[in-house]
Amino acid sequence: MDARLRRVNKEIADCKNDKTSNIRIELIDESPFHLKGSFPGPDGTPYEGGHFEVDIVIPESYPFQPVKMKFITKVYHPNISSASGAICLDILKDAWSPVLTLKSTLISLQSLLCSPEPNDPQDAEVAKHYSTSKSSFEDTAIYWTQIYAGGPGPKEKKGKGSSRSDVRDEVAIAGLEKAHVDQFEALGFQRSKVIDVLRRLNYRGANVAQITDDRVVEELLK
Amino acid sequence: MSSDYEFSDDDGDYYDDEEMLDGTQEDDMDMDAFGEDFKVVPKGKHKAYEVEYDSLSQAAVEKLMKQDVDHICGIFGVDVSTANLLLRYIKWNKERLIEKYMDNPTTMLVAAGVIVPEASSQPAPAPIRTHSSTSSGFHIPKSLKPKVEEPFVCPICFDDDTSIQTLALDCEHTFCFGCWTAYVNSKIRDEGEHSIRCMAEGCALVAPDPFIRSILIPEPGAPKTWDRFQELLVRQFVACNNDLKFCPYPSCTNTVSCPSASSKASLATVVPTVSCGALREHMFCFGCPIESDHRPVVCGVARMWLKKCRDDSETANWIKSNTKECTNCQSTIEKNGGCNHMTCKKCKHEFCWVCMGPWSEHGTAWYSCNRFDEKTGVDARDAQSKSRASLERYLHYYNRWANHEQSAKLSLDLYAKTEKKMEDMQITSALTWIEVQFMKKAVEEVDKCRMTLKWTYAMAYYLAKGNQKDLFEDNQRDLEKAVEDLSELLESPIEAENIPTLRQQVTNKTVYVQKRNEIVLEDTANGFVEGRWKWNITVEGFDDPESD
Repeated sequence: MDARLRRVNKEIADCKNDKTSNIRIELIDESPFHLKGSFPGPDGTPYEGGHFEVDIVIPESYPFQPVKMKFITKVYHPNISSASGAICLDILKDAWSPVLTLKSTLISLQSLLCSPEPNDPQDAEVAKHYSTSKSSFEDTAIYWTQIYAGGPGPKEKKGKGSSRSDVRDEVAIAGLEKAHVDQFEALGFQRSKVIDVLRRLNYRGANVAQITDDRVVEELLK
Repeated sequence: MSSDYEFSDDDGDYYDDEEMLDGTQEDDMDMDAFGEDFKVVPKGKHKAYEVEYDSLSQAAVEKLMKQDVDHICGIFGVDVSTANLLLRYIKWNKERLIEKYMDNPTTMLVAAGVIVPEASSQPAPAPIRTHSSTSSGFHIPKSLKPKVEEPFVCPICFDDDTSIQTLALDCEHTFCFGCWTAYVNSKIRDEGEHSIRCMAEGCALVAPDPFIRSILIPEPGAPKTWDRFQELLVRQFVACNNDLKFCPYPSCTNTVSCPSASSKASLATVVPTVSCGALREHMFCFGCPIESDHRPVVCGVARMWLKKCRDDSETANWIKSNTKECTNCQSTIEKNGGCNHMTCKKCKHEFCWVCMGPWSEHGTAWYSCNRFDEKTGVDARDAQSKSRASLERYLHYYNRWANHEQSAKLSLDLYAKTEKKMEDMQITSALTWIEVQFMKKAVEEVDKCRMTLKWTYAMAYYLAKGNQKDLFEDNQRDLEKAVEDLSELLESPIEAENIPTLRQQVTNKTVYVQKRNEIVLEDTANGFVEGRWKWNITVEGFDDPESD
């Protein structure tokens, strides 16, 4: 049997047998070389309670070349692109070793969520947010975890005091600029709807220049 | 007195013999020079516009590498593969390696991936002593011998066949032979990586050459991968050494050594056109990647000129043919329709597009301009031409530069045409193939001179006004005239009766053109060495024109 196929099959089987790590690997289609991995957000982080899915493509020369992984679930993290889910992690590039497995790589991703590295960012906007105001960054990360990864949301976590000035917070935790929200609200749309649409369009940083106002209004009118 | 000298020396006869031998050799050389109509300067004389360089084959570079390796082996008392790993790690900077190694050998060995760090579970035996004790100089890792461990499962392919052969570096991270082979092949072939680390995660040990060799040799495609590995090593060595450059032609493996052009500062005085020697056309500039031969102009100026051409020439041409400047405020105006009554958008000056004079003087002759000689109109056109001067100046040089470039591109056609002519000549006259070679020689010379001429325009554009520039342009003009004359001769129709005269004319002209080309190249090169050339703008590596 092909060494690559044997290895991948064994890795998938190992993962199934291992109940303690909470890491799951599933087939997406017939091919064993295109998989979906998932793991829970690590405890004690803004990602706690979320369920994160990762797209896995196994290249021809695996395991001598690294696997290709990117997040399917949107994640608010300095080393993960908020738009594409691309991951900046050394073991997925030059620090890859053939000894690493899909499971160990997914565990590394899990620990990447615990320890962001804002000095080597994938998403410069998020990294800036992280370094300028960590608490505000965490609010957004919790919010994203709640919306995209099925997390418990801020109320459950903080317990008290989060209902205060909810509207202002909502803009910040969605990772949006107040000015942008105000701009579209001034056109007569509901504030919550504006936030929802802008968040969905990923109306942040460099994206702002690429998304025309018409496009936003079009979405708002839907 | 002379007889004294001759007879006092017992070796007189021997000496005479030697001189005779020398004499005949010289004769031979003269004969050669005579036979070749076109030799102007005897071979071996170093011309001012040529740099000294050596062309090295891969084997010759490997020899250089070996010298460095042997040197390090001698100083540190380590084996060849350790010295190799150390040198590759430090990018072949021997001085730095010696300094750092003397400072702390263990740190260096760990960093270069020769030994495992002390802290690891395996007690590292003092490797230096072990290595130096191997008299052969080649240290075969002890683990190279296939091991048989009982319940071995390769951690990569999960193969647990009891018969599989396993391998490990000194770190004892064991994998099966098949995985090692696939890994080494993938690193060398796909990634072009010459430093191949242990496959275990976080292990920094680098596989020494004998280990890689032992893996690759039983492989079917092994010689290729092993050769590729050697090539990668040579490439790294060349890349680390400023005196060396790899031949940029595809799949050529030769290297050129040109120490006189290795520093950036030296590129202000020499134009290092070199050839790797593999083929005639494997010519390249040692100092820059822009063009293979941009003599006589130095890299910095050639680069500036090309950049300017890319940025400006099309725009400048368009401006020249489609716009005029407002005679009042000098804004550039495009007339994209309508009548000749122009009103400048900026200063509201009203003028006539045809004569450039103020519209007010057109009186009742609306929409028709037949007043060419009016004073104001002439003045306006004068002003116009002045503002165009710098643009015109640039285009003057650009057009001539581009013209020669175009001619050079057409030279392939010319070669083919000439070849045809040479065949015709043999049919219509009694000349042999050898005797009609003068045509080919002439075409080659024209081609070469056009290259020189092309770059002289780039140079002249940047030269500051003065006697030096005048002299330069005189030389340029003489060469240009000679080249055009020769080109014309080459194009002239061939008739049987005038072939002998044509041959003589072409041969004469070729020699003349060659001489003129040498003069331009030689004088320009000398000028760089003497610091004679002054520029009209700041050029990298030269004094600021303002400071003079």
